Amino acid sequence: MNLPESRRGMKIIGITLLIYAMLVASHEGEFWPFSIYPMFSQAGNPWTRAMVMDVTDLPDEEIWQSHSLDSKTGPPVALREIGVDQIDYSNFISKTENWTDSRRNALRTMFGPENIGEARWMAAKVHGRMIGEDSVAIQIQPFLLVTADSVYMNPLLDESDYFLEENP
Amino acid sequence: MKWHERIGKQLFEPGRDQSPGELIFFKCFELFVLVWTISYAWDWGIYSQLRNVEVVLPLGMANYIDVSLFFDHNLALINAALITVLALFSFFRAGPKWLYMVVLVLFHMQYVIRYSQGEIPHSQNLIGMSVLCFAIGAWFFPGKKEMPRFVMGTIIFFIGLGYTSAFFAKLIGTGINWYDGRHLWLWISEKSIDILSREGVYNPNFLQQIALGSTAAASVILLIGWFTELIGFTMWWKKLRPYTTTLIIGMHFGITLTMNIRFDAFVMQLILVGYPWYRLIDRYIVSAPVLIKRWV
Repeated sequence: MNLPESRRGMKIIGITLLIYAMLVASHEGEFWPFSIYPMFSQAGNPWTRAMVMDVTDLPDEEIWQSHSLDSKTGPPVALREIGVDQIDYSNFISKTENWTDSRRNALRTMFGPENIGEARWMAAKVHGRMIGEDSVAIQIQPFLLVTADSVYMNPLLDESDYFLEENP
Repeated sequence: MKWHERIGKQLFEPGRDQSPGELIFFKCFELFVLVWTISYAWDWGIYSQLRNVEVVLPLGMANYIDVSLFFDHNLALINAALITVLALFSFFRAGPKWLYMVVLVLFHMQYVIRYSQGEIPHSQNLIGMSVLCFAIGAWFFPGKKEMPRFVMGTIIFFIGLGYTSAFFAKLIGTGINWYDGRHLWLWISEKSIDILSREGVYNPNFLQQIALGSTAAASVILLIGWFTELIGFTMWWKKLRPYTTTLIIGMHFGITLTMNIRFDAFVMQLILVGYPWYRLIDRYIVSAPVLIKRWV
């Protein structure tokens, strides 16, 4: 490569950079493989993740109560063992705004009825936030009870926790 | 000489002759990108076919095309097969010079099909950017003497830019107090839930215990990582490149240890592009094999 080609190379990089900037600016920072790499850019915010607990042996009156991580009511279901990507699952739970029949069934399909079998699995939201100056509090909120053939919503929660729109 | 010409001189080294080691290294690097491209294409295709049901978060072209069509009828797998065949043709230079661009578009589609479920991972971005650089290089610099130098220089440019951009995203998103150690506590606790959910058990490692035990230690960990991102663009200078690369690799190991996020392809690629491996090859090889010369 000679000097004129090097200059031409920089021009092509410049044009690519311009396209890069236009695509990420118009797509909230992400147009794969272009990215502004915004991960961890907003620090200190409360977070919400999700986990699955096996509540098969728990009495009905206890399964819907929210509780801390230290006093979780059932053993966690290891999602890797059933072939579900944990991050996908967590986003599915935290980013779904309207839990329509089809969305609830999509969750059951994600777990796989054959994996659930006779068990009862609780899909729970997990909230974390700073308490005071020096500790993080983690709260588990039971959200959807999933069996091989049905999905139940938490009767202790408000309908607005499941439906953002007025007429789902 | 203008500033961008100086950067071009560092990235493309116009005064240096092409050596056999450079050709061999370039083709080995292209093979590395090819293997990861095919691997990702099939991983994403198989997962989409098995697990994706509805689009939760449309990314990229999924904003304009309903990618849920690809969840059924093996379409994601057919796309993976197409990517595989066309990427192989591109690797062996058996096709038009725009073929790599087609691979890039199909690869982008495969990513947005797979990651339509809410997660926006970045660990595959470097492989995607490399395919982009091969696509631009094959189109605008198809010659054997120009393409290797342009592709490698452009990849280094975008890697450096990406890290420095990540520094500013944090500065803008949070402010100068981004490195407050308590922020790291929140992230460690967040990732601990992901690990617990994925594996069924979670135990903090040594570095996490140190960070959770002291705000000052957690702040230092964040500050070192943040500073490393800031100087990412210094990779553009060939003499600084190995040192910057080493710091960035160290930062990735730190992220893996503190937040349990792995960057396998990312780190492997950094190891490949950040150091002048061609010099090592040139010590032992006097001439590039005929097949390598044919396929560059």
